[in-house]
Amino acid sequence: MSLFKTLKNGAAAAASSYKLILLIWVTTLVLTLAVGYPLRSFLNMIFGNSMAVERLNDGFDLGITGDLGKSFGGLIASVSAGTMLIGLVGFFIMTFFAGGLFRRFSLAWGGLKVSDFLRTSAGNFIPFLKIALLLMLIIGAYTFILTGIPIIAGLIVSGSPGQTGNIIYGLFVIWALGLPVWLFVADASRRWIAATGSRKVFRALGAGFRALRMRFWHSYLTVLAVVLINAVFILALMWLAGTSTPEKGITVFLFFVATQALFIIRLFMKAWRYASVCEAVK
Amino acid sequence: MRGILLVFLCLLPITAGGQIVIDKPLSQRLTGYDIDVTLDPVKHTLNGMMNAWWVNHSSKPVGEAMMHMYLNAFSSSQSTFASGGRWSAAGDDGWGWVKISSMKDGMGNDLSGSYGYVSPDDGNVNDKTVLRVVLPEPVAPGDTLVLKIDFVSKLPSPIQRTGYNEDFHFVAQWFPKFGVYETAGMRQREADGWNCHQFHPNSEFYSNHSVYNVSVTLPTEFVTGSGGKLMEETDLGGGLKKVIWRAEDIVDFAWTAWPGYKVVTRKWNNVDITLLTCKMGLSKAENHLDAVVYALEYLAARVGPYPWPHLTFVDPPLSGSGAGGMEYTTLFTTMGGGAVPVFLKMPEMVTVHEFGHAYFMGIMASNEFEEPWLDEGVNSYWEQRIMDHYYGGGYGLVQLPFLKMSDTDQGRLTYISSPSRAIASNDLPSWMYPHGTYSMMSYNKAATWLHTLQGIIGDETMDNVFREYYNRWAFRHPSGRDFISVVNDVVKSEHGDRFGENMNWFFEQVLYGKGECDYRVSGITNYKIRSYSGVVDGDSVTYTRGDRRSDTLYISRISIERLGDIMLPVDILIRFDNGKEVLETWDGKASYRDFEYTGSSKVIWAKLDPLDRIDMDVNRINNSWTLEPDRTAARRMLNKFVLLMQMMISVFTL
Ligand SMILES: [Zn+2]
Repeated sequence: MSLFKTLKNGAAAAASSYKLILLIWVTTLVLTLAVGYPLRSFLNMIFGNSMAVERLNDGFDLGITGDLGKSFGGLIASVSAGTMLIGLVGFFIMTFFAGGLFRRFSLAWGGLKVSDFLRTSAGNFIPFLKIALLLMLIIGAYTFILTGIPIIAGLIVSGSPGQTGNIIYGLFVIWALGLPVWLFVADASRRWIAATGSRKVFRALGAGFRALRMRFWHSYLTVLAVVLINAVFILALMWLAGTSTPEKGITVFLFFVATQALFIIRLFMKAWRYASVCEAVK
Repeated sequence: MRGILLVFLCLLPITAGGQIVIDKPLSQRLTGYDIDVTLDPVKHTLNGMMNAWWVNHSSKPVGEAMMHMYLNAFSSSQSTFASGGRWSAAGDDGWGWVKISSMKDGMGNDLSGSYGYVSPDDGNVNDKTVLRVVLPEPVAPGDTLVLKIDFVSKLPSPIQRTGYNEDFHFVAQWFPKFGVYETAGMRQREADGWNCHQFHPNSEFYSNHSVYNVSVTLPTEFVTGSGGKLMEETDLGGGLKKVIWRAEDIVDFAWTAWPGYKVVTRKWNNVDITLLTCKMGLSKAENHLDAVVYALEYLAARVGPYPWPHLTFVDPPLSGSGAGGMEYTTLFTTMGGGAVPVFLKMPEMVTVHEFGHAYFMGIMASNEFEEPWLDEGVNSYWEQRIMDHYYGGGYGLVQLPFLKMSDTDQGRLTYISSPSRAIASNDLPSWMYPHGTYSMMSYNKAATWLHTLQGIIGDETMDNVFREYYNRWAFRHPSGRDFISVVNDVVKSEHGDRFGENMNWFFEQVLYGKGECDYRVSGITNYKIRSYSGVVDGDSVTYTRGDRRSDTLYISRISIERLGDIMLPVDILIRFDNGKEVLETWDGKASYRDFEYTGSSKVIWAKLDPLDRIDMDVNRINNSWTLEPDRTAARRMLNKFVLLMQMMISVFTL
């Protein structure tokens, strides 16, 4: 199968799973709003009837943090705690849903009912969690070896961070080019579990590596292409969200709708990677 | 012989007009130094001799001289500077000191045995940073004392403003230097005497404007720079060279030598600007030069001319970062070269700040020991104005699409967020600030109330205050009281009695007092009343409707409170629902004040200090009150938070 066809089939499979993706989206929205709403109320409480909230328009004016006094410390602590909580719960949720998505993409035909989706998600959860943790460990070590060690060594040798700048950029590019290898292994191993129904994590990883070796360039380029497109999309989305400051009530609502729509697209694009890997391994 | 000739050359400018750097003397030139040393880059010592002279400008004979021996602050862990573990040497070679091997007066009398160390500030017998020399004969009024001193200076490591790190040398506070002989009346002093403080951890400085002829012999590979004008650089052969600098009318002379310096130059009007930077700092060189030109331009226009034709500054390498952020008038050091991202203007801020000291204690040579606010506070105030004027459209420190900060707010933030902001007055000597409040008070609180003063008297008057301060006090030694007199005179001449007889009430609170300023709008109420009129007939009252068209009337009340001790005049802007706005003023003295209006429209919001002129107000959140709080920002922030979190969990999971 050509690379293009793999990507095309993957995209089609992802698109046809829209119900599952919308379910994932709703879950993330509920989770983040559950933390975000109390934070918003806290912010409103701090400002009370003040008009100083104007200074948060057009970018966050750090000068206001002193006036906020202790409340600002409280706000930062709450946001940090909220972020940690969402990060942790989000990790479990995404690992959970990956179980269902891979089941869906490893089926030879047709869709998956939502109830089946949830059942397979639950069934695959433990092995998927193990694979996720193992690969995150591997990717962490890979990142440290490739960028962390040279930065520290560079600092010790040259005594200044600037002189090693170009080398660091070069290493970052190498790091980014190597990343699809690990992502492919993660996806292919999970596909193996979803397809075979086995719970054996190390055998799954073995199958993932074998799949990679069998058609290395095809596998690698499939993930690289999807990851690159995803990266560009994510950067554009973050830039857009970071720089836009809607000021009227209705534009704020439209901003919300737009960012959520873009996030749903992002979820599709992530599912596209899963589906493409499943296609490539097939 | 050569020494005597040099002394003669030095004295010449006072009597004849023999100028070398500047057309005519800027200062009284009561002191001068001819120094000839050799740098040993391996032992990090300076070996040499010096002819120092001091003119007795008082009306009485003076029988002793006081000198700073500041490198001795680094000579032991018991010195006032180093005690309490605030500095310790990097190994046995790290200690710094200055030793006098011979001292003679102008007549050739040997003075060994007639000098010893004193500790006027804290009586610490282990502190050897102030030397008292008892003269064989008092110096008569108008006479010149000449001291011929052979000395060795050893630089300390790690560098704290002065010192070395391998082949990087920053040489400051390095030679025996006269204190300031003050006459009665000068800086409100009661009797004549020397003002010569020890070297403290937050050490600041105080010196006469002097003439320096400095000659340094060192290996040829060293690139050098100093606060003087380079007169000569001669190759002596054998891998050595001699560098000769001359500086006029500056309060301190420092220099630096390092083989790794890269030199970048620029000319602004008649000023030759030299930047000594490192390889890593080269990428920021133009930014630093822009910053210094902005500062020159701004201060020359609003305070007074920069009178020297030369200016050198240093962006030290990481190995010399301990020398960064310090001022020696025509030489200063900045910091944070290439590694700082461009949107953060911290390096430019340091450049602007350290350059600004050329004015605030370089030209207006206040006593930094005793009144640190008068240079650090005033200089921070100008630094903030310059940064916010030239960078980021008012947000001179950080300007990103989603994050911003003005330099003025950065200073104010440091002050208002300090829990110790009200424990001491702003008028303490540098080493007397309790609980680590020195920099918060002398830099940030002072700058904050200077902005507040500007807010009260107006921008133009504030600039005129500093123009007059320059006119009266350039190349002299002003005190805080002298500065206040200038404020009083200028405000009086421009505003008459508008702010009272003088501005002392302001300084008594913000400078000499400890109080803080906080005004707030505590609430708005609108009572709806009917425009009925009552007719009393016996025991019963009947009401008749007055004018049907203006049926509803409101009694609106805006309640204002003073929560702090400081009383300042404040403006209150009040807006009604028909779009009308009223600007009220209040002297701010009572503990509360209500403004009441009766009319057909109700008040929808009120803003205290609507133009944000009272920077001293420690809480601006409570300066306004609206009946319809705008929740848009909070909603938008929630949206962004939700998206950011969603992206986080989708990106950081496999
Ligand atoms: Zn300063």
